Amino acid sequence: MRTPQKIALLILVAVMLALPQFIADMPYIVNVLILAFYMTTMSMAWNLLGGMTGQNSIGHACFMGIGAYTSVLCVVKFGMNPWVSLVVAVVVTALITGLVFSQCFILRGPYFTLVTIAFAEAVRQVILNWDFAGKAIGVGLPYVRGNNWLLFSFRDKAIYYYVAFAMMVGVYLLMKRIDNSKLGFALKTIREDEDVAAAIGIRPLKYKVIAVVISASVSAVAGFFYAGYYRYIDPNIMLQSASVELVLPAIIGGSAFVEGPLVGGILMVSLSEYLRNTFGGILPGINLILYAVVLIVVIRFRPTGILGWLHGRRTRKEGKA
Amino acid sequence: MDTFLQACANGLMIGGFYSLMGMGQNIIFGVMKIINFCHGEMLMVGMYLTYAFHVYFGIDPYLAMPLVALVMFAMGALFQHTLITPSLGTHSFTNLLFLTVGMGVLLTNLAQVIFSSDYRTITTDYSSKILAFGPVTVALPKVVSFCVLIIISIALFFFLKYTPIGKQIRAVSQNPLGAQVVGIDAKRIYRITYGLGAALAGLSGALLTLFYVINPTAGSNFGFRALIVVVVGGLGSIPGAFFAGIFLGLLETLVSLFIGPSLRTLVVFATFIVILVIRQNILLRRR
Repeated sequence: MRTPQKIALLILVAVMLALPQFIADMPYIVNVLILAFYMTTMSMAWNLLGGMTGQNSIGHACFMGIGAYTSVLCVVKFGMNPWVSLVVAVVVTALITGLVFSQCFILRGPYFTLVTIAFAEAVRQVILNWDFAGKAIGVGLPYVRGNNWLLFSFRDKAIYYYVAFAMMVGVYLLMKRIDNSKLGFALKTIREDEDVAAAIGIRPLKYKVIAVVISASVSAVAGFFYAGYYRYIDPNIMLQSASVELVLPAIIGGSAFVEGPLVGGILMVSLSEYLRNTFGGILPGINLILYAVVLIVVIRFRPTGILGWLHGRRTRKEGKA
Repeated sequence: MDTFLQACANGLMIGGFYSLMGMGQNIIFGVMKIINFCHGEMLMVGMYLTYAFHVYFGIDPYLAMPLVALVMFAMGALFQHTLITPSLGTHSFTNLLFLTVGMGVLLTNLAQVIFSSDYRTITTDYSSKILAFGPVTVALPKVVSFCVLIIISIALFFFLKYTPIGKQIRAVSQNPLGAQVVGIDAKRIYRITYGLGAALAGLSGALLTLFYVINPTAGSNFGFRALIVVVVGGLGSIPGAFFAGIFLGLLETLVSLFIGPSLRTLVVFATFIVILVIRQNILLRRR
């Protein structure tokens, strides 16, 4: 990275860190940003499997849901500490997805997408029929007074802001690292051509399972944060529409780039939440219409997403100079 | 025994709709190798079109069917021509997938903005009539819809088998390059195929309106089941789709009868995953 870019990035991070101090009296904006960080994290998790490995999942809300439910149930039913429940949630999610998808990865392309949808809906139905998990009513976390790091509950929205920001940056760094590692190259080879990958000694099944386990674990962490922030979860967090919504930032930003979900997420979530807040009363669903229109326009005219478009322009300019 | 027969009758009726939806999805998937994720939403659009024709022009839902089919065909062909065909060139499965997903989100929310999310129904003077076949009773509109549905399925089968356009559709679906070599305009076939799929979904919607609530998310149940029908019935097979749809409908009602209605969806989806995995394992072993 060149020096001006580094400085710009440092300034950006500094601004993001200082922001809650200036907008503390506008809890709504803090809320939107927290939501944007959360969605971006989920989108990056999806992008590891969808953008990098080429396995399109429309069931990521379910991975997040398994994580959220495991952690909440551990806290509420077994009196576990939230931080211990986070570890349990990640392990449980990784185990379930690893076991299920090691069987399902022989399916390719559209068939894999179908399995993720069916899996997500099946898990949702299990929760809907399970007394222990609160059925359709959902489960809530106990009320905690003040800011408590040990119980992961804060009265200050600013702390949630920092936690979400740290989560997003952490996941970004993880993805960046994977992108440049042997694992990342193996995954990208599988995306381009699975048979070629197998021929040059990359075992597609093994790497795809690694990808889905990492992706689901990150989703579980995001789910833990979601549950800790809203203090209440119900089976609707796993709806197919939720899974779709968290993929869109990655596609709009550019799914071939690690930064794609970051750009798409921050941009789209802020815009859509603004629209929902302004017009939601008169025209419910207007934010999703905008989402869909932007998505369709991007796919039709800029198939590589916003970043792919910018990147293409820069390389073309440099080529001319 | 009576409840069993009744459940079978209900399963048959709902299965017919899964079949019709599955056939539309089947030809789209067969020809372009893309999953049409807005198929259920197109059914919903068909429902609202029928509703609009009924409320604003006083047209009977069954008589509105040709109009609905025509409008849906035009919409589908336009969507294919302006959006999907250009994106087919990028060969990005992800983009094509989320193009149709985005279309579905757009249609659902447009319907919500235009018609609000209220539940609507169409009532005619014959919609509450009930027919009795021995111990089994079925509402008259369900019987009529089912008969129309069978006629459409048979007509579609013969259309694909014997008409020139039908033969061209099958040719493109088997080998797009070869079809173009012998002079078939593949892009035109894409338009017709997608329009046909949309029209079939719209017709299913029109047939459903008399005994199903109309709301912006009414199609989501049918959309995914249409995909199950495609996978279970086999690609490119219209009779396969027909029987898979009936089978799915019967499975659903019988599961709710013997195991419990709340577990219906779980059993269906879990069965689907198992069928997919086993099927793929068999295919791999055969190779």
